[in-house]
Amino acid sequence: MKKIGLYVTLTVGALISLFPFYWAFIGATNESGKLFSKQLSFTPGTKLIENVINLNESIGISRVMFNSLFVSLTYTCVSLLVCTMAAYAFAKFEFKGRDTIFAIFLLSMMIPYHATVIPLFKMMAAFGWLNTYKALIFPNLAYPFAIFLMRQNMLAFPNALIEAARIDGAGEWRIFFRIVLPSMKPALAATAIFLFMYQWNSFLWPLIAVSSTDMYTFPVALSSLFGLSRIDYGQVMAGVTLATVPIIIFFLALQRHFISGMLGSAVK
Amino acid sequence: MFRRYWKGILLMMMSVLVLAACSDKQSSADNKGEQSDEKVVLTAWAWNVNVGALNEAMKEFQKDHPNIELKVEDIGRLDVYDKLSTGLAAGGTGLPDIVLVEDDRIHGYVNAFPKGFVNLSEKGFDQYASVFPQFKKDLTSVDGKFYAMPFDAGPTGMFYRTDLFEQAGVKAEEIETWDDFLTAAKKIKEATGSFAMPLDKFKDDPIFRMMLNQLGVYYFDKDGKIDLTNPKAIQAMDMLKKFDDAGLIKDVDGWNGVVSATVDGSVATIPFGAWYYGTIVDQAKDTNGKWGVFLLPAFEKGGNRAANLGGSSWMIPASSKHVDEAYKFLEFFSTTKDIQLMAMEKYGLFPSLSSAYDSDLFNNGVPFFGGQKIWELFANEMKDIPTAYYTNDYAIALDEAIKAQADVFNGKEPKKALEEAAKRLKDRTKREMNTY
Amino acid sequence: MRDLVLRLNLSFYLNANKKGRGRLRTKTVETNSVTTKVEGRTEMKKHVWKKKIVPYIFIAPSVILFSIFMLYPIGYSFVMSFQTSVGGEMTFNGLENYKRLFNDAIFLKALKNTFIILIIQVPLMLFLALILAVLLHSSLLKWKAAFRVSFFLPAVTSLVAYSIIFSIMLMNDGLINQLLEWLGIGAIPWLSHPFWAKASLILAMTWRWVGYNMVIYLAALQNISEDLYEAASIDGASKVRQFFSITIPQLKPVILFTAILSTIGTLQLFDEPYTLTKGGPSDETLTIGMYLYQTGFRYFDFGYASTIAYVIVVLIAILSFIQFKVSGDER
Repeated sequence: MKKIGLYVTLTVGALISLFPFYWAFIGATNESGKLFSKQLSFTPGTKLIENVINLNESIGISRVMFNSLFVSLTYTCVSLLVCTMAAYAFAKFEFKGRDTIFAIFLLSMMIPYHATVIPLFKMMAAFGWLNTYKALIFPNLAYPFAIFLMRQNMLAFPNALIEAARIDGAGEWRIFFRIVLPSMKPALAATAIFLFMYQWNSFLWPLIAVSSTDMYTFPVALSSLFGLSRIDYGQVMAGVTLATVPIIIFFLALQRHFISGMLGSAVK
Repeated sequence: MFRRYWKGILLMMMSVLVLAACSDKQSSADNKGEQSDEKVVLTAWAWNVNVGALNEAMKEFQKDHPNIELKVEDIGRLDVYDKLSTGLAAGGTGLPDIVLVEDDRIHGYVNAFPKGFVNLSEKGFDQYASVFPQFKKDLTSVDGKFYAMPFDAGPTGMFYRTDLFEQAGVKAEEIETWDDFLTAAKKIKEATGSFAMPLDKFKDDPIFRMMLNQLGVYYFDKDGKIDLTNPKAIQAMDMLKKFDDAGLIKDVDGWNGVVSATVDGSVATIPFGAWYYGTIVDQAKDTNGKWGVFLLPAFEKGGNRAANLGGSSWMIPASSKHVDEAYKFLEFFSTTKDIQLMAMEKYGLFPSLSSAYDSDLFNNGVPFFGGQKIWELFANEMKDIPTAYYTNDYAIALDEAIKAQADVFNGKEPKKALEEAAKRLKDRTKREMNTY
Repeated sequence: MRDLVLRLNLSFYLNANKKGRGRLRTKTVETNSVTTKVEGRTEMKKHVWKKKIVPYIFIAPSVILFSIFMLYPIGYSFVMSFQTSVGGEMTFNGLENYKRLFNDAIFLKALKNTFIILIIQVPLMLFLALILAVLLHSSLLKWKAAFRVSFFLPAVTSLVAYSIIFSIMLMNDGLINQLLEWLGIGAIPWLSHPFWAKASLILAMTWRWVGYNMVIYLAALQNISEDLYEAASIDGASKVRQFFSITIPQLKPVILFTAILSTIGTLQLFDEPYTLTKGGPSDETLTIGMYLYQTGFRYFDFGYASTIAYVIVVLIAILSFIQFKVSGDER
């Protein structure tokens, strides 16, 4: 009985979570005005292909998709490495300035992004990086949130194991890559998802840093569909649907790591 | 598995990154066209339909100027402002040669960044003063100097559903004053259930602004003093309240809400600028042929029915490296009748160029609007439109006016609400306030 | 790149170590008896030095990147918070900006709004996320992946879609009110009433971010040993009891972490009020994050906007500090 209750609650919750996305999909399959009319049915319409074609004309889907994918994937990989390394140091070592540096990282998370946009923009202009992939990837590589999250998870890793490995003569890199990281899979997966998501949905900075249409990432491209009055909502919704697919795939691929990655196995 | 090739993948990513970064640099250098003196590539920021208009105009322009090219970036309207503000605040970097700016923001930008834009009068634009309506000239000039070239305007009208009016037995031609419309709207509501007008009651005040404009007043007077307590402003707010008290205003949420109400017929009339035509035609395709337009009702019999809402103009950031070429192109764009007609016909952008009105396009009936000559109606209105004095504090004033409107809808007396808003505005902007 | 270089350096050491004391031994042979001591000391030094330097190497990339890309912007805007624009030029204004802020009625209102939203939304969302994570972690459940994706999807839906759809749904005659009417409850002025507008924001934010926090908790739940639960079951503790006595204490660090993160996010809140309610009606949903944006990007008062930013930082720091202390975390 309890089980059924559980399933029902979860299903209701899942439906509530999914509904707006489903509605966006319906919007993508209909022509523009229909999204607003009372007769909008809950079954998909027929205009999906048309909307996608129009969208492609408006923003060039493959280019935008490439930009978003390239930036997000590169960013995720590099940032994951950089941040995990730092997290490891903060969690497992004692060194001068450790807490101060960590506190500075934390504090930087507290600054609203609107405040740093202008100086960062000035800097990118000075470097000559405006309108390049570098401007999109570099600024937030040392992502305090990721460092914080990984550190949190690393604190739980038994120091005894590390010490034992050192005594055995293993070098620090080896310890890091072969002993610590493999048992941090769930945390790594979660962090990777968050990094990817952050970059994929990032809007303000890509908007400011990039001025040519062929460098647009998805959020910026979608936003460009909003002129003053002539908005094609069918296209918008098609874009929204397309923009969500890669990130769902990424999530599905990584979330299986959330299965029990028991610490016990490392001891063996 | 993935884990094993960690480092390999990482190395690959980093090398791709470096490669890609290097190659971008090259392509962006190409775009700047710095190699030869001859070829000039102008960059422009505009939104939506304006992009198409620019591109087509450039094709024409190139016939006489083959060495000039144009790269238009299609950016969302609000996004243009974020980028423009950032670029200007960063000291004038990363900005295009040409940017489209809506009229209500021009003064704000020029005042906040006095050296940010090219003074067009100095380039000789004054010679064109006579081909644009007075109000457009005022909007695009600061201290008597042109800083923007007028482009499209938003002469106002009441877009109405002819079938709903018929059903209620109301004749649009007979409506002359707002009181007339009030009576008519009540009839329509009874007969069809549709509201008179849509409005985002607590977050936007376009109807109030249109009323202010037609009455010849605005948030500020021509000396830049706060004019919210002007009896005419109070008159406008009173009228809005009357409509609301009679339950005739449909509270909608933002732009989407207005579009929604337009599409599903829950409002019989939408007061807006001529550019709203595009939205109706795009989003309410099922109602083809069932629309008409009449001018804003006057406040007194025979009073002014002409007003403007919206409209934009072209500006040249001072950081541009091709000011002369940009100027030449924009001059061509703004003052050539055929170009403006093209923008109108293909993109629904209502021209400010007076000479454009004398053409077939403006003399023909529009099928979607039951054959009514709506463009002629709008064109005839242009010369009577009073100037709205936005000033550089427009954004703050708008904020306060909306709050006043919200207070009125929540029961406060219009006079009191406007007085309080004027006072708040005075505190925030340090401007003088007119008292009556 | 840097990585490669570092790794090469360290493998050198690795090899040195691996070969035992080989390298150093050769040294001793060449010199005389005195060097035995030296050898011991140098090797100790090397070992100690290596241990000392290792953490710095690990944090080096982050620190370097951070210094370049974050410190300058942070410093710049800190300086700007003391400046104001005079005729288009930024000039030093002392503490005037800060004084102005404390007398700014609109800022104070935004502050109040932000706090109200914070106090209600964060605990609500975190609690829901925790329960969901526990439910989805339970091995009894089938279709876990499907559920996880469903709950996570809102966090991933683009802001554009999310705002259009919510505003359509929350319209006076929108879907949600239609549902409410059908249930006999009656329509609610979701977006035009001071109270309900805040409620709409809280609902939207919770909808959007529950899945995100759920994922964090899911990852952390993996670290709790099953044995603890088994032992408790044997002792006769109910699932609910286990939740409160085992799960929550074990997750304390992570809960603290998400609480701080959510606090930061809510105090900076911009996206939702900007796209859903525009701060209305009458500034009832204006947050300090949105006020910052308006001040800088709409009113072009960049100096003052930076001031607002720094006051937000101070507020967040204070709240985070309090949260740390309350939960007794060893930093």
